[in-house]
Amino acid sequence: MSLWRQLVRGLTALTNRAASDRAIDDEVRHYYEETVAAHLARGLSQDEAKRAARIEMGNPTVVAEQVRDYGWENLVATSLSDLRYSARVLRRTPVFAMVVILVVSLGSGAVATVFSALNALVLRPIAGIRDADRLLTLSPIRSDGLILQQGSFADYSFLRSRSQTVSDLAAWGKVSLTIAGAGEGTIVWGNMVSGNYFDALHVRPHLGRFFSFDEDRTPLAQPVIVVSHAFWSSRLGGDPGVVGRAILVNGHPFTLIGIAPRHFRGIYTGIRADAWVPLMMQPLLRPRADLATSSWLWMFGRLKDRVPIESAQAEFPSLVTTHARESGEAQGPAGFRSMRVFHFTGLPGGEGVMVVRFLGVLLAAAALVLLIAGVNVAAMLTARSIGRARELAMRAALGAGRIRLARQVLTEILLLFLCGAVGGWMLALLATNALEHVSLPANLPILIELSPDARVLIFSICSALAVGVVFGLVPAVRAARLDITAQLRDGAGDSRWRPSLVNRMLIVGQLSLSLVLLVSAGLFTRSLVRGQQIDPGFQMAGVVTTSFETESWGYNQTRAQAFYAALRSRIQSIPGVIDVSYVSRLPLTGGSTTEEIQIDGATIGVHIAAVDAGYFSTLRMPIVQGRAFLRLDDERSERVAIVNESLARRLASDRNAIGRTFRFLGKPTTIVGIVGDAKYATLGESTPLFAYFPIAQKWQPTQSLLVRTNGDAEWIGPAIEHVVLALDPAVPRPHVASMKEATAIVLLPQRVAALVTGVLGAVGLALAAVGLYGMMAYSVQRRSREMGIRFALGAQRSTVVGMVVREGLTLAVLAIVIGVSLAAAAAQAIQGFLFNVSPLDSATFATMSLVFLSIASVASYLPARRAAVSDPIAALRAE
Amino acid sequence: MDPQNTDVIQGTLDMLILKTLSLESLHGFGIARRIEQVSRGVFKVNPGSLLTAFQRLERAGLLDSEWRQTENARRAKFYTLTRAGRKQLEVETADWTRRVSAVTRLLKAEG
Repeated sequence: MSLWRQLVRGLTALTNRAASDRAIDDEVRHYYEETVAAHLARGLSQDEAKRAARIEMGNPTVVAEQVRDYGWENLVATSLSDLRYSARVLRRTPVFAMVVILVVSLGSGAVATVFSALNALVLRPIAGIRDADRLLTLSPIRSDGLILQQGSFADYSFLRSRSQTVSDLAAWGKVSLTIAGAGEGTIVWGNMVSGNYFDALHVRPHLGRFFSFDEDRTPLAQPVIVVSHAFWSSRLGGDPGVVGRAILVNGHPFTLIGIAPRHFRGIYTGIRADAWVPLMMQPLLRPRADLATSSWLWMFGRLKDRVPIESAQAEFPSLVTTHARESGEAQGPAGFRSMRVFHFTGLPGGEGVMVVRFLGVLLAAAALVLLIAGVNVAAMLTARSIGRARELAMRAALGAGRIRLARQVLTEILLLFLCGAVGGWMLALLATNALEHVSLPANLPILIELSPDARVLIFSICSALAVGVVFGLVPAVRAARLDITAQLRDGAGDSRWRPSLVNRMLIVGQLSLSLVLLVSAGLFTRSLVRGQQIDPGFQMAGVVTTSFETESWGYNQTRAQAFYAALRSRIQSIPGVIDVSYVSRLPLTGGSTTEEIQIDGATIGVHIAAVDAGYFSTLRMPIVQGRAFLRLDDERSERVAIVNESLARRLASDRNAIGRTFRFLGKPTTIVGIVGDAKYATLGESTPLFAYFPIAQKWQPTQSLLVRTNGDAEWIGPAIEHVVLALDPAVPRPHVASMKEATAIVLLPQRVAALVTGVLGAVGLALAAVGLYGMMAYSVQRRSREMGIRFALGAQRSTVVGMVVREGLTLAVLAIVIGVSLAAAAAQAIQGFLFNVSPLDSATFATMSLVFLSIASVASYLPARRAAVSDPIAALRAE
Repeated sequence: MDPQNTDVIQGTLDMLILKTLSLESLHGFGIARRIEQVSRGVFKVNPGSLLTAFQRLERAGLLDSEWRQTENARRAKFYTLTRAGRKQLEVETADWTRRVSAVTRLLKAEG
């Protein structure tokens, strides 16, 4: 009630200042008149009564002033007038204002751009999902603590039937689908989902409906499909009439029952899904027997009402134990021992932390640029405050309070930073737009909309204003502590001006911060170079690759095998082709397949790949012992395997591993060869135990083709496309890329970090160098009289140049000392993202310090030379 | 200036205004005059503080005001106690009495 009154009265007073002032004046006048009347009644004359009244109550104008000062609206009113005054002052010096705004924009833009990425990947709620705070994701944990993320259908069914804390436990797996709607077939990434998937997310269809109960219960009974809004509008012409019609999915007729809401692309940010089919259609769309037991399903659920997440976090690990006991296996059917429950985010449980840490590093780098910009502006402001001292002194002499003066100076600075924040936001718009168009390795279903939204705008304004307050305080306090009389007496300014301690500190500060950025950029770049130099254990040069998803074309195993065989023989006959082979999973693409082998009663977890004959010669991998796979190693012959050196040592440290037999998927398998160790999933990994099996003995419908050619491989791409389409014109056009391109994602974090810190480092160094240059130039200009005298007394030009340069370089050297220690600390923080590079890599530190020193020399030499060519007579006469 | 004539004790002005208005609605000068008279000239009210206190009390919802003619035909702003103001007066009076008796006890004990 009273708060309401405060607000209403305040706003009334604010909007109708004149009326409320008049009311106060009237009241004070009435009081005065009554006082006069009282004195008249006591017998004083008119004049005497007026005098007495004035003595008694004081000057009525002052009283009215005092009453008017009450209320919060006065703060607003004075702030507004400060703002108007600031705008006027800044309009008088447009160049200065523009430079400051530009500098702040650069810093703020850097922060806003990185924050946009963080926002898009982590913070922004996923479109279409409601009440996301009640959702959770389940991640199985392997016995060695690794977060697996996926579980099997058996695990899912058990958990779904037993959980008491979660109302809708949903599961989904990836599936690639070829949809033939109108026109040619399109390959899209789809999700195979449990029937309650959309219900659990509280997603409502844009058109039609989502899956019903029986579509979730009976295998193969209901071939139905839901497509994304984007797919519907681009491929199906946005026609509402298509709902209810049949479309061909992997060659089978499916009924299109619904359109997902606009922007809903599945639950993981950046991984795009265009179609959803029920899990019950799995035997048709991914016809493999092992999908009941292998782990390929992500799981998430919605908490029951009033159940806290802690209950679910307690429930699921114990359910996993129960499940393992009931199914009679020590570790649970898929080899996982426990389960972690995470709050639902747009990122898979384990990866979220890494992404956030990585973006945190980049955000810190961007914040450094903003800080440099802040220091830079503070330096400019202190330099200008010397020129403005007279104006401020004049205002103080006219009665402006010191607090009021300080507030006005701060308002001016905050106005500049506010404009800078808006400028930064616009820079971020441009930068994120450019980033979205950076082409990623092909075939990845990645879609990230980085565009900054209101949250980014608010964040950049807040961060810029915070920096503005910190660096605006110095000039503001200075304004309040100004010595008025001294300023008004010799208004000409101090001809002996030298950069003050504060100025020097600010310059050294921004120089050292920019060195931190430079060193980080250097470390990331070096790490990228080292990463590219890491010997993966095979030769990528001269090899091109492309992947085929025969399942999604509706091929069965016989037809797919015939296709792969025909493709191989046709490509092999192309002149210039040296080797052709297939592999189940391309190395260095981040993922791996793990299985178990049994030998001598022990179970060993190994990473595996199924490869075709000729794989090792195509990639130039050395067979250390034994033989490579042959065409003869097919399903009719003896089961064979080739192991890497690490696995060979593990299996038979003292004896020859060749000829030994282990059990794999229940079948005795003989080791026929040992191949050199290599990198498999990532470049940073420590060499895993690895086993290769002939693809003919361990059938995989999805395979990557590898083709080695002699020399230039430009021409081979179209040739492969031609052969594939000649074999079956209905299949999607393959995308052929060099192996280097196809595996580029393995160094993506280093590439991004090197690029971002490189750009930020350059911006930071440029700002700092301009700051140093500006201070030296200003100093030289203010000291022109001193220079004149020096020349007049016979000083050599080189001496004067040396003096000025030495002054600049002293600051630079000091900045190197501080910057190197700061960079050493920062490098520890980014250590986890570096490859084969010590965080204290001396070469990087030395190189970057040298680069830094040379830029600083240039920034000090230019003003020095200007001092040297100035005319001593003119300089002396000007005074 | 009369040495007996002091400013109102810090923090009691609001209470005195409320008490004065609990009898009848008055304008600013009337209230000041009433306080001086009832206190037999011990307290002298500063007009600036008084008029500011009106703003404060009115915003707090303890007073209402309206412009009316006085008996000598001047237009003046009259203040009236609201229900909340009456309640506040009770609270402050009780509080004041408690403090005064405590201070009195202390002074007596020392004497």
